[in-house]
Amino acid sequence: MVENNGVELSEAEAEQYDRQIRLWGLESQKRIRSSKVLIIGLSGLGAEIAKNIILSGVKSVCLLDNEKLKETDLHSQFLAPSDKIGENRAETSLQRARALNPMVEVTAETKAVEALPDSYFGTFDVVCATGLKQEQLERINNICRDKTNKFLCGDVWGMFGYMFADLFDHEYSEEIVQHKAVKRGPDDSEKNARETVTINVKRRAIYVPLQNALSADWTKPELRSRLRRGDPSYFVMKILLRFRDEYNRNPDPAKRKSDTEILLRMRDELVKELNLPVGFVSDAILTDVFGIVAGAAAVVGGVIGQEVVKAVSQREPPHNNMFFFNPVKCVGFVELYGQ
Amino acid sequence: MVARVAGVFDEKLTEAIANSKILVVGAGGIGCEILKNLVLTGFPYIEIIDLDTIDVSNLNRQFLFHKEHVGKSKAQVAKDSALSFNPSVNIIAHHDSVISNDYGVNYFKQFNMVMNALDNRVARNHVNRMCLAANIPLIETGTAGYAGQVELIQKGQTQCYECQPKAPQKSFPGCTIRNTPSEPIHCIVWAKHLFNQLFGEEDPDQDVSPDTADPEAAGDAGASALRTEGTEAGNVERKSTRAWASETNYDPEKLFSKLFGDDIRYLLSMENLWKKRRPPTPLTWNNLPGKGNPTAQHSGLPDQRVWSMHECAQVFGDSCKALQADLKNRPEGDHLVWDKDEKSAMDFVTACANIRAHIFNIPLKSRFEIKSMAGNIIPAIATANAIVAGLAVLRAQNLLKGETRACTSVYLRPKVNHRGQLFVPEKTLTAPNPKCYVCASKPEVALACNLKQLTLKDLNAAFKDGLNMQAPDAVVEGKGLVVLSSEPGETDHNNEKTLEEIGLNDGSALVVDDFLQNYEVRVILQQKDEEKSWRLVTDPDIPMPGPKEEKPANGSNGADEPKPGPSCSKEDSDSDMEIIEEDDTGEPAPKPPKRRKVGMNNEIVDLC
Ligand SMILES: [Zn+2]
Repeated sequence: MVENNGVELSEAEAEQYDRQIRLWGLESQKRIRSSKVLIIGLSGLGAEIAKNIILSGVKSVCLLDNEKLKETDLHSQFLAPSDKIGENRAETSLQRARALNPMVEVTAETKAVEALPDSYFGTFDVVCATGLKQEQLERINNICRDKTNKFLCGDVWGMFGYMFADLFDHEYSEEIVQHKAVKRGPDDSEKNARETVTINVKRRAIYVPLQNALSADWTKPELRSRLRRGDPSYFVMKILLRFRDEYNRNPDPAKRKSDTEILLRMRDELVKELNLPVGFVSDAILTDVFGIVAGAAAVVGGVIGQEVVKAVSQREPPHNNMFFFNPVKCVGFVELYGQ
Repeated sequence: MVARVAGVFDEKLTEAIANSKILVVGAGGIGCEILKNLVLTGFPYIEIIDLDTIDVSNLNRQFLFHKEHVGKSKAQVAKDSALSFNPSVNIIAHHDSVISNDYGVNYFKQFNMVMNALDNRVARNHVNRMCLAANIPLIETGTAGYAGQVELIQKGQTQCYECQPKAPQKSFPGCTIRNTPSEPIHCIVWAKHLFNQLFGEEDPDQDVSPDTADPEAAGDAGASALRTEGTEAGNVERKSTRAWASETNYDPEKLFSKLFGDDIRYLLSMENLWKKRRPPTPLTWNNLPGKGNPTAQHSGLPDQRVWSMHECAQVFGDSCKALQADLKNRPEGDHLVWDKDEKSAMDFVTACANIRAHIFNIPLKSRFEIKSMAGNIIPAIATANAIVAGLAVLRAQNLLKGETRACTSVYLRPKVNHRGQLFVPEKTLTAPNPKCYVCASKPEVALACNLKQLTLKDLNAAFKDGLNMQAPDAVVEGKGLVVLSSEPGETDHNNEKTLEEIGLNDGSALVVDDFLQNYEVRVILQQKDEEKSWRLVTDPDIPMPGPKEEKPANGSNGADEPKPGPSCSKEDSDSDMEIIEEDDTGEPAPKPPKRRKVGMNNEIVDLC
């Protein structure tokens, strides 16, 4: 994992990162500063993740995308200028991405994921993938596992979103605040004479690969009992990943009506396949999955960005292993799948 | 301009967005993010107000600003940057305080909703009242570190920002600060008071000399024996600290000897104070610990190293000289304003706080830590702001679709709760407090005070600081007698009269109103002989803000702000929010909901 290279922060860095150093400490900031991150997919979600990670002050960020900027990207992709439609999404995002924080080295890679060798992905401390098919996600996840690097992926469809993390064998420290009574004098019993003491506890979390999480066995009683919570987000994610695999694209705002029909059909198939209660995955949640809504990209990109920061700084417990944002209830939650 | 791509939203929302006008108050961490989301989503008309300018410490999260923008107007630069995301949006930027006659009720009425992205209570209270008066929805946001929240305020349907009294800011008794400090913060507050006494606005409530009126010291004969210039008011010096320092030409050694030698010896003579406490140890300028010692090995930021006493004294001397020079260069009668980002001001407070801490055997702190405490810095990160702003704009979309009842408050937790939730929505809207002295149909509040002592000037301060009014007018109910007028000079001749002298007594009712806020409240006076100043009483069980509160902080840009009252300092953060915890058992939330200060409090382990 990321080693603290021992180099002190410059005065400019200390000044610019002051408000976050006060939250996660100098050691975390040094670890962040020595880490290299790959972001795959420069949709609105990719732009949000890139913004958050570049602002945090990592060593370098590479933006990887072979797609061209489309009009649909513009309602969430703020790194690409709106007059660059038709150009490569990663390249057109470079200038604004660099301006966010000149202390971070930002580069672009325009090759397709399939065209890049395994060794390419192994050169980053963290890989963060969006917009890929399941097969590609699993390939990159397994490369990261071999290298014991961190892998995260996620997507936003309309207002709905998810994140998955495989931090392999992750060690981190967690800060626990304790209140302690302090006495100043021999008989001082002043209630106010209290001090807060922070203790750092070392912890370890073991993760499973994406294929385990995506093939969770819903016949098992422990998983079955989760249905009582009534949240269909896991299945919505499954449906949308299947849609992408099958049609080689995401649901298209321009084909809202016909794509909704396809989604509802796929929903019915999944409900049957996993023997879910009828109506468990409502029509409503499948109607707001077109394009990428800026607010949802900000929300999910914020969560993913923070998980990358946690992963590289090895500070605070990271989510293990899936996060979902359900826009119908405006709830965001973490669940463990595939273990 | 409609949502840029047809089919992203259903037709109803697409049309509602196309016809909307939104006001964003604040262009800081959350404001930048909200503006980006609105512009990308295709909101066609946005006004944004912020009086601040850009600081380098904003750049880790306020991503519409870059290094070359430092010193420029936040509102203007935010507008320019956001326009590059979507040039067809109409954005109007105001580099201005929202608390101004230019933004009256009619101004607010032109918007479909207001989105608050503020960093202080004064402005939040004010916008709350403006939105209640204009009867338009307000989406209120805040973050502190990893945590945050979004809530809707809609007149008659939800709580308003002032429905639940906010916990008063932490205050310290004067005698703790002046005589018996026991924690680093006591020394830091003392050091900031000392700064004001020497270089800033002199405030009699910020005396730094030993307090002989300390009830604990009663009966100390030694006290008067050592010095004779003690006054009955409890202040040792008749002469102001400033005048004395000026006479000595701010000689560091003389200042040091008085503050950290003579004054401490004087405190030691008040023997009752030390019967149950460890007595302080006076220091001598020429014989300080740490002299000649090599600087200890240190691996953190330079500011994170704790100075030796010898170093503190040197910094004390250097900063005194620098501040004196600064003061001299100003016009006669002008003064310095303490600012955590001014090097000498921060050095001075660090050195003085640590010297005093050493004397009282209190742990020393680094300049880095003291800056947090003295400047009341609340850590802020990009991701929490992004999440809260994203949720806020999704809530705005709910509202535009007419789904007001679905717009429950949402809390971003620093860590997931026992149900694995990171964003926790309330199940229902939180009903307004029928006794709220702001949003009730007939607002009413009691003011406890000693009518024989409280002057009209104090009363005016009570309305401004306690009721957060900007320019109060008050008449005696039923009689029409004007007690206070917001017209300059109209009632000034009565300023020094007590309430009793102008004929008010226990149970008298005043009708107090603020024209700008379109806010009127009935204030019932309660005679309390023991009350030294004033206190608002809504519910006897809930402590309400009074005037004698110690503010650990003044924001760096405080000079541009409307004068902050005691209960409402500007804070350097995106929030001074409190979080209403959802009941963790899943039962309906108890009323009123438990309010807690945002922070790392969910993991606090109490050892006491
Ligand atoms: Zn209210």
